[in-house]
Amino acid sequence: MRVVIAEDSVLLREGLARLLDDGGIETVAAVGDGPSLVAAVAEHDPDLAIVDVRMPPTHRDEGLRAALQARALKPALPVLVLSQYVEERYAAELAGGGAAPFGYLLKERVADVTDFLDAVRRVAAGGTVLDPEVIDRLLDRHHTGGPLGSLSGREREVLALMAQGRSNSAIAVRLAVTAGAVEKHVSGIFTKLGLDPAPGDHRRVLAVLAYLGL
Amino acid sequence: MTAGTAPVARTPLRLRVPLGPNGPLGMFVDPMTWRALPYLLGSVFHGLVCFAVLVSVIPFSLTLAVAWVGAPLLALTMVAWRGAAMLERRLVGLAFGVRIPDPYRPGRGGNPLLRCGGALADPATWKDLLYLLLLPLVGLVEFVVSAALWAVALALLVTPPLVLSGVTEVRIVGELTVDGPAGALACVPAGLGVLVAALYATRGMARLHGQLAMALLGPGERIAGSARLRASRARGADAAEAERRRIERDLHDGAQQRLLSVAMDLGRAQVKLDSDPETARRLLAQAHEGAKAAIAELRDLARGIHPAILTDRGLDAALSALAARAPVRVAVSVELAERPPAAVESVAYFVVAEALTNMAKHSGATEASVRVGLRDRRVSVEVRDNGSGGALARPGGGLAGLADRAATVDGVLGVDSPPGGPTVIRAELPCDW
Repeated sequence: MRVVIAEDSVLLREGLARLLDDGGIETVAAVGDGPSLVAAVAEHDPDLAIVDVRMPPTHRDEGLRAALQARALKPALPVLVLSQYVEERYAAELAGGGAAPFGYLLKERVADVTDFLDAVRRVAAGGTVLDPEVIDRLLDRHHTGGPLGSLSGREREVLALMAQGRSNSAIAVRLAVTAGAVEKHVSGIFTKLGLDPAPGDHRRVLAVLAYLGL
Repeated sequence: MTAGTAPVARTPLRLRVPLGPNGPLGMFVDPMTWRALPYLLGSVFHGLVCFAVLVSVIPFSLTLAVAWVGAPLLALTMVAWRGAAMLERRLVGLAFGVRIPDPYRPGRGGNPLLRCGGALADPATWKDLLYLLLLPLVGLVEFVVSAALWAVALALLVTPPLVLSGVTEVRIVGELTVDGPAGALACVPAGLGVLVAALYATRGMARLHGQLAMALLGPGERIAGSARLRASRARGADAAEAERRRIERDLHDGAQQRLLSVAMDLGRAQVKLDSDPETARRLLAQAHEGAKAAIAELRDLARGIHPAILTDRGLDAALSALAARAPVRVAVSVELAERPPAAVESVAYFVVAEALTNMAKHSGATEASVRVGLRDRRVSVEVRDNGSGGALARPGGGLAGLADRAATVDGVLGVDSPPGGPTVIRAELPCDW
């Protein structure tokens, strides 16, 4: 797998590259600002772009805008955005057209090396990964009233994991239940939320997110 | 398509004349001179009318006040003199170019009785009256001086052509008469001399009258002071906001990144603990270094927000600590009988900190001194170095930020840094704000 990294802190940029290297993922370019990201994507045609939201010159959302720009260049480019704080709005902008796979994680998730590498692989493979924090906020926002209120506690847990882009079998391992039980919960969720079950992890997550109001 | 002439910003004529804007030629071509002259000649008449009305109506209405007839009359007079003062504000603005804002307190409701009471209690009303009573006197002096000087200048200057065209005797002033071509020629330099005197007298009187009008017709210290306070507080609030953003940025981009990198190293070490213990050990050592660097960074950041030693020990100790960290020898002298308010101490500390940082970065100085003293209930802070000078308070720069910081306690900051040095940065911070 070939990855482009855009991150302005040299410390983190190099750290990320080494961490990916540990996981057998090749970093073809590591850059420090938005325009270089767009250029690197055009040059290397990577399998994934890992992008910091805040970058020079103003340190606001240059990274996100550069990522969207790069995606305009390569519409199917999977983008994994890292951020020092999570905002549903940023996730919504990334989900935008809904066509391309994306991930949106808090920066500190890189410390859980195994989980982070897992997320990188899932996004590169066309999945969608959302930070649990974003999902918690969305679930909180929709907590009162509506069909979400009719979900059982276990179903809410499954929904949160689904929104993180996990497959049924991964959810089963995480919750220590059988795959059959997870399937039952998932169909229960789809029924209660009025969503048609769709094949593929990515579609599944998007359906959930669309429902959650992203 | 026709090519239009683009408007070009031109330097005013008076700035381009050979003798400079304040030379006689500059005065002559400056429109302000010619706007002031008609006012100086005419104000005495406005003043006399006002004076006549006021001195006749006020005593009259006061004597009638017992019979309840005088009160409305007095109120009417008051409205009239406030009107006259308003007219005078506009005229003075036109003639001298001084903008005088209306000083009146905001009125209270629609009840005429209440409004009259409010106007009576407003010191601006009485200052208007004083100005109008002074106006004929001031106007008379202005009229006499201007009329005499300008008339003599004009007379002297028109004499030569008159004499040349055949008039045998021209009377300038009183017994001073001119006859013959020799006398006529002598009139030219004399006339020019008086003209110059007239120009400067006109401008001088315009300036004095403008100041008098500003003092009596303008808002007093109370309002002007509070407006200035509001302005500086607002800038101070901006400075505080910018400061908070800087701290947030420093936290995110500095300490948080370092800690993240530490966490990343630890995470990688954890994964490699069994398979590759040597690398894991190296990563642990790296994380250890990173954690220590993050602690140091947080400590520096905290000191940038508010140095602990300043709270604990006051300016002397805090400034000595700053001086000890400077790359060159800095002599510190703090003479304060008691500790100033915390806000003043903090501003004083950051003035010195920024000045020393600037010095280390730009000036190439080899020694510096810091003096803090108390004068007239103001803390004065002076930082002096022997460097190359040329420091400027650019908007958005560190020194401008300090000026804003000083403004939060109603203080001022001065930067004196000629090219070639030395640089002196001085702050005056009132202590009893």
